[in-house]
Amino acid sequence: MTRKGFKPLLLLLAAALLLPLPSTPTFAGTDARSLLKESESRHRTKTQQYSGDLTVVNKEGKIRKKGWNSYRQGYAGDSKNLIRFTDPPEVKGVGFLSLPRPGSDNPDQWLYLPSMKRERRIAPQDRDASFVGTDFNYEDMEEFDHEKYKVSLQGEETVGGQPCWVITAIPLEKGSKSIYQKLILYLRKDILYLVREDLIRKGDKEPAKRLILSDIKNVEGHYVAARMEMTDLKKGSHTTVTLKQISFNRPQPTSRFTLQNLTREGGD
Amino acid sequence: MRPVLLLLVLLLLPCSALAEGFSGYAELKGFAYGERFAGEPYGAGWGTLYNKWEQRLAENQFTASVRAEWLTSPQTSPIVLDPADRKLRRPPLSVPELWLRVPLAPSHDLEFGRFQLGWGKTDGYSPADAFLPRDVTDPFADEKLPLWAVRLSGQEENLRYQAVLVPVTTPWRLPPLGSRNAPIASGALPAGTRFQEVDDAPPLPGFVALRLLATHGDWDLGVWARSGVRPAPILEFSLDPALQTGPVPVLSVARRYPREHGVGVEVSRVAGPYVLRGEAAALFSGDRDLGDALIGTLSVERGFGDGTLLITLAGNAIAPPVDRTLLFDRGLLPALIVAWNQTEEWGAWKLVWDCGLERGDGLLKGEVGYNVTDTWKVTVGGDLPYGSDRGPLGALHWARRLVAAVRRSW
Repeated sequence: MTRKGFKPLLLLLAAALLLPLPSTPTFAGTDARSLLKESESRHRTKTQQYSGDLTVVNKEGKIRKKGWNSYRQGYAGDSKNLIRFTDPPEVKGVGFLSLPRPGSDNPDQWLYLPSMKRERRIAPQDRDASFVGTDFNYEDMEEFDHEKYKVSLQGEETVGGQPCWVITAIPLEKGSKSIYQKLILYLRKDILYLVREDLIRKGDKEPAKRLILSDIKNVEGHYVAARMEMTDLKKGSHTTVTLKQISFNRPQPTSRFTLQNLTREGGD
Repeated sequence: MRPVLLLLVLLLLPCSALAEGFSGYAELKGFAYGERFAGEPYGAGWGTLYNKWEQRLAENQFTASVRAEWLTSPQTSPIVLDPADRKLRRPPLSVPELWLRVPLAPSHDLEFGRFQLGWGKTDGYSPADAFLPRDVTDPFADEKLPLWAVRLSGQEENLRYQAVLVPVTTPWRLPPLGSRNAPIASGALPAGTRFQEVDDAPPLPGFVALRLLATHGDWDLGVWARSGVRPAPILEFSLDPALQTGPVPVLSVARRYPREHGVGVEVSRVAGPYVLRGEAAALFSGDRDLGDALIGTLSVERGFGDGTLLITLAGNAIAPPVDRTLLFDRGLLPALIVAWNQTEEWGAWKLVWDCGLERGDGLLKGEVGYNVTDTWKVTVGGDLPYGSDRGPLGALHWARRLVAAVRRSW
């Protein structure tokens, strides 16, 4: 399995969402690959931007919050991404820019730290490292590309009152090594939207983490989960992300995804 | 109301944010020293109140910040506000930021006002950045001073530029000479020698600089040039007979700011999980005490889970004409800097080792930050300079200390 490299929080989870037509289609000869392909083709948007709030609750109930603005242009491996943290005060203004590089799985990535007043090129992250202290790790932030998994349809199940396809995805282990042995995807049948993902680590039999996507809205003709919750079933902690001010396919200024813009304090 | 009480009140205020566009912090910091030094106490305290206002004005960006401080020691400036940080001592009030950015085109900006610059590629030590003025009143804090400046910057495709004009010299701010934070090596002067520091105005013109940067694949490349007044002073000691009225000698200390011209290259490259960075700079000065310099740095960075290891090697190929500790930004060279930063669920910690490779002195620094909440943070740590007191860090052995701080951010 190869991945597309680190991507900003929830932008990528949102990208993993399988956006759909509002009516329930019939899939003759239904199989996992065709479901995922259909979902991906419906999902594509040229641009996306939103404001996000993130809450981390550890097993003792201690709460941490973060806020950020996210901008994307393009899709999947060709996407440009800019994230700017807005909260808490200690990380306000920290910026992250990711630009695709043709022919490479790893995009070019820079971080801007207001305390240093300069940008820093960063290396592809350790895939098992926690993303900014949340229950997401860097691999969780990568875009889900079904072509890099062996996928199979396991059956049907109801999640949150909605009938879902259940699909297992096993990393093909091409390119970057996955930290997971298997992913179990729950795809809402009516809108082909991912509503749950169980993540099973290598060597484990039970899921180590569970991602639940909810509060699904239709924004400008595209479905999007405005709430996502990742639970670390072993640690007992969970991270909730809520998206606000979501918009799709709005033209992004070409100067937004530049190092010049990344280093603009107080800018996007 | 006494400043410390005001700070306590601000720390305990229940609000989490004053308003959109406002941010800042109140901090109380305490230092406990291992030894007394020349009558200085075992402990010291700093209180800081910092507030920043950021405002979009159509396409323009305006930012202003104010810092108020209360220090038990060392002494502060009797002048309440020193808007260009040109006085010898730290003022109780300062304006770290006061700038306006005007976009000239989508990727071209003009900024003017008071702001901080950050140059170079290598962390720990960068010859492109090291000459910029620092306030080393706290010699372990590495606090960079802002400048009054005009900056034109922009990007076309993968090429970027920065042109900076600094019309006013903001000098390095040093601790009181002869204090524990700026001691004189034992035996260099008669015991008890006192210093009379002359608060003369640094030269008015500052410097100009141009920086060109390019990105190509895994590579980030840059070249730069600058010319003008070097913000780090040359100290000139003299024995004024008129001052010799007591039992101990009194030395008059004046500051001189030579001109210097420099060119440099910088490069960074991603190589698998590593980021390699390097810089080289050639610095020219006709000054008899400063001399020329040829400084090179190499650094490697690698992430390990939630931690990052950074190793930097820096050196100067030209021996300076005077004791290098008197040249401040070049004082420690050649040097090895090793840093480990680790993020934890509860906060973060770091360990830093600065090692002077010539005199064998160095600094071990450790810090643990615990996030009580998103807005409250408690930090404890220690600074342990060691080695020969002829080196810039070893000379600070009287300043070995433990530090504890509580910060409330908004």
